[in-house]
Parts: sequence; structure tokens; C-alpha cells
Amino acid sequence: MGLIMKALQSKTFNLRNRLASMPGGLGFLIGLIVVIAILPLFFKDSSYIMHILIISLIWSGVVVGWDLMMGYAGIFTFAQVGIFVVGAYSSGMLAKLNGIDPWLGVLLGGLASALVGLIIGIPCLRLRGVYVALVTFAFHLVLVPLIKLGGPIGTGGAMNLVGVPPLTVGGYTFTVSDKIPWFYLLLVVCALLYFLNYRVIHSKLGLAFTALRDSENLAKSVGVDDYKTSLKVFAFSSFLTGILGGFYMQYVGVISTRILGMDTFLLIMVMLILGGLGRFPGAVLGAFGVTFLNYYLRPLENYRLVVFGLIVLLAVVFMPKGIMGLPDSARPYIKRAFTRLTKGRAVKPPEGL
Amino acid sequence: MFIGGIVNGATYAIMAVGLSLVYGVSRVFNFAYGSFFVFGAYFAWLLLKIPHSNFAIAFIGALIIMFALGLISEWASVRPLRWKPKWDITTMMSTLGLAILLNNIALVVFGPSKKVLPFIVEGNIHVGGFVITWHEIAVVLISLVVIFLLELFLKKTRTGMSMQAVSQDMTGAKIVGIPINRVFAYAFALSASLVTISAILLAPKVFFSPEGGWDTLCKAFVIVAFGGLGSVRGTLYAAFILAMVESAVAFYVGISWVLVVWFVVLLIVLAIRPRGISGIWA
Repeated sequence: MGLIMKALQSKTFNLRNRLASMPGGLGFLIGLIVVIAILPLFFKDSSYIMHILIISLIWSGVVVGWDLMMGYAGIFTFAQVGIFVVGAYSSGMLAKLNGIDPWLGVLLGGLASALVGLIIGIPCLRLRGVYVALVTFAFHLVLVPLIKLGGPIGTGGAMNLVGVPPLTVGGYTFTVSDKIPWFYLLLVVCALLYFLNYRVIHSKLGLAFTALRDSENLAKSVGVDDYKTSLKVFAFSSFLTGILGGFYMQYVGVISTRILGMDTFLLIMVMLILGGLGRFPGAVLGAFGVTFLNYYLRPLENYRLVVFGLIVLLAVVFMPKGIMGLPDSARPYIKRAFTRLTKGRAVKPPEGL
Repeated sequence: MFIGGIVNGATYAIMAVGLSLVYGVSRVFNFAYGSFFVFGAYFAWLLLKIPHSNFAIAFIGALIIMFALGLISEWASVRPLRWKPKWDITTMMSTLGLAILLNNIALVVFGPSKKVLPFIVEGNIHVGGFVITWHEIAVVLISLVVIFLLELFLKKTRTGMSMQAVSQDMTGAKIVGIPINRVFAYAFALSASLVTISAILLAPKVFFSPEGGWDTLCKAFVIVAFGGLGSVRGTLYAAFILAMVESAVAFYVGISWVLVVWFVVLLIVLAIRPRGISGIWA
């Protein structure tokens, strides 16, 4: 028993060390948020770039939530966009009811998403690997007909969900044309979300699910409750995603099933892959990079997705750890070059011997 | 309705068996499967446009082209990742990338409009008050022959037997000298050909377009998960059961409920038997 504990401890300590040594530390995260926060100083005159920044922020939160599931907890869920849409629709539908404040609507939308996340999560816990991917992807695909059939309960049916009352604070109303307040509102939300995510990854719960991912049997044998842990991750990640869905709906002012199309799904997946699975602030970098790329590739029209498909394929094959993994992958090469350089000088065979 | 169920069941069986075959042999889940469906239909459509072409040429031509495309896809998207850490996730992602790539190439090349293949044979017959088209009979016959040939291939030929060996015990197969990588590639390519057959059989009834692949993938998904990943027999049962459910739902409730009902069925089945009717674990 002592031996097993020791093994797990060394495993988790290694994990901790690895996390601390990566550019995933708290300092890097704070720096990243500060950099994002000063971006509007340069771009505040361009409503277009501000729009891209706001969208980037929203997607960054979604990708962070996905990364928590896929990268850290090792649960292959493909329901992330579906959960996002559930948050968006339910917050919009609730805000349209009388007496529910739009802010409360967003919060309740997050809770609804968490609930849906739990409902998907429970059958998934009995399943493994690819079956989880199957069920969650089927959930994504089945949402479109469900929303279209849901006209009677207020989803807008085959039409869009419109006419949702806007968010207001102390007499100020957030509108889509006024980008700066939106940007900072979402920055605050996302910064909170990043820190919360950071805390969770480095908490006991985070340790539990990374241990489950890396070595399921060992983790279970020392008393990690896989059922409870996985459900917590499902609920937590879905809650964050649902909240962002609510804000997205409020920002754009309208939500339709078009967002469940494959292009959005792929885009978010590219963000996650480029950012690196299980390399936390990487997902944020991926989200910003890919969102900008997406807007600037617009002129390519149909070829845009061809390019993105190619990027996914090449990134998975040649850069499996994403942007945040590049320093890691480069390290052996640098080391080798370095030793070759120094050895070349030191181990020169002495002449005449 | 009942006849429609049988006919769809036959094509769904072929459609799902390919997906199941790849998974059973190589443990790789192929997200580009729906794209293969679409491409197979497009190639058959193109080959039929050639002067003096006929159904047999288009059918066999499309199968050969798709076999080659399957080999290329495996080489590009699955082989570089195999035996690397987390290959089960990374191959899912890379085949998803491949799917988007192929779908959008189809969109760029063939345009967004829906296309339709002609019936295999025209005309219909009356049997005891029902009208059955010759096409439906041809579909069922071709499906049965294909499934029979597949079973024969898996049981009697060297490649087929090595596929079974690899699926049962990868390390063991490697030790006795089976070229695993080649077996994986053949399984992938064979699945591309199988889905092409189902595309050619199904396309005269349902239109196909560059986005049509996801629907196919989803259906193949559910059937395979229901029957159990990697089991040919389970897939057959599941295909016929679900096709019957589909015709019943479409008949009594409406066509837009089909996917929803399938999803519910899937959840129930997986809750009771997490590995489907007769599946193997991942």
C-alpha cells in the first residue's frame, strides 16, 4: 500500500512539477490577460477588430472548458458546441419570460447547461473512449432537429430566437454597436473563468482527474472516485460553457441552429488542437489566433474550410502538442545541437596518440 | 413501410459494417466516413456521365477509386499517428480534419446543389397489392451478395483472416509476422469501398450533397454503437432493427423525428448494454 501511495505521489508530484515548469504558470496567465486587456487601446477605432476580439474572448472560454474535459480529464466529449448552444438558447428563452432579469437568465442558462452536461455525462460514465465520442457527437447532431421541433416551448422553431431583452446595468444597456463595454465585460468574465479553471486544474479535484486520465487503475486503487470526479468535471465545464453561450446570445442578439453547423465545430476544434490539449493557457492563444485567421481568410470563401481541414490534419500529425508544446518539442533538438557543439570541441581525439 | 424498412436495413448494414470493420481491426474511429459516402456517390455520378458508360462500369469504377482514396487517407491521416501517445484521440481529430477537408473539396468542385443517381433498374412489379420497384429488389440482392462476399473474404482469404487476427490480438498478430500496417490500410480502404456501395444503392432515393455526409456518419454511428463496435453480426441486426424503427417513426410521427428517436434508442441501449448487442471493448 505504501508503495502504491508512493507511486501515485511521485506521479502527481511529477505532474505538478511539469505544470509549474511549463509556460502554464500563474504569471504567464496574468501576463496574457494583461496583454488582452490593453489590446483595445490599439484597436478601439476599428469596430471590426473589436468584434473579432470579443468573439475570440467568447471562444477562448469555450475552448478552455473543452480543454478541461478533453485535455485534462481525458473525456473525449464532442458535445461542447451543443452545450454552448443549450446555454445560449435557454438563457434567451428564460430572459424572454416576464420577471426574469437577463443577467439571471445568463446564470440560469449556465445551470441549464450544467444539467444537460450531467444528463449526457451519466450514460457516458459507463462508456469508454470512442463510445463517449459517439454519444456526445450524436447529441450535437440531434440538437438541430430538437431545436427546430421545439417551437412550441419557445426555441423559435425553424426560425431564429430573437427579441431577447438586453443586459442592462445601472441604466446602461449593452448593445452590439458599443464594443468597448462588451469587450471589458467579457474580459472580466473570461478572466474569472481562466482563474477558476487554473484553480481547478491545480486543486485536489484536478489532481484526481489527471490521475484518472494518466492511470485509471492506479488512481482508483488509491481511492479516487472516478464516477464522482468525472461528473464534477462534466458539470463544471458545462456550466462555464453555458454561461458563455448566454453572453454570446446577448452580444449577437440572435441565435439560430446555424451555429451547430460543422464549420463552428471545426473552428473550435482547430483552436483546441493548435492551442494544445491539456496545456491550459494554450487554448486561449489558439482561440485568438484561429478567430483572427478565420476572419482574415473570409475572402477565400469556400476554400476557407479546405484550408482549415488541412490545418487540422497537419497540426495533429506534425504538432501534436500544439503551440504550448513547441518549446517542449524543440528542447531535445536544442539540447542535441548544444551537446554536439560542446562535445565537438571537448571530445576531439588528441592527435598523435 | 415494411418493405422500405428491409431495403433501408440492407443498405444501412453495408454502410455501418465498413465503419465497424475499421474500428474492429485497427481501433481507429474514422470521422471521414461520411465524406467517403459523399465522394463515392460523386464518383459514381461522374462515371455515369461519361459517354457509353453504364451502371456496372460506374459501380466498379467508383469502388476502385474509393479503395485508392481510402489507402491514401489512411497513409495521410492515420499512419503517422499510430503507436504515438494518445493515438486514439489524435486519430479521431485527424480524421475529423480529413472529413472537413474532403467535404469542402466536394463543395468547391461539385457545388452545393443536390445530386441524384438514377435507379439501378427501372420499373416495378405488383405483389399481393404492394408495389415493389425493381430497384428495391436489386438493392436487397446486391446487399446480400456484398455481405456474403465480405463474410467469405474475412473467413477464407489470407488478408481477411489476418484482419480477424489483428482485431483479436494485435500483438499476437505482429509476433506471427502479419504485416499489421498493411492490414490496417486494407481495412481502411475496404471500408471506403463498402460505404461507396451503400452510397450508390441509397443515392437514387435520398439526394446527396457535400453536407450529406454527416447524416450518414451519424446513422452509421448509431447502428454500430447499437450493434457493438467491431462486430459484423451485431451490426447487421442493428441495421435492420433501426431501419424498421426509422420507417415506423417516419410513417407515424414524421421524418424529422427520426434522428431524435434514434438518439434516444442509442442512449437506452448503451445504458443497458454499454457495448451494444455484441461489441468488443475499446
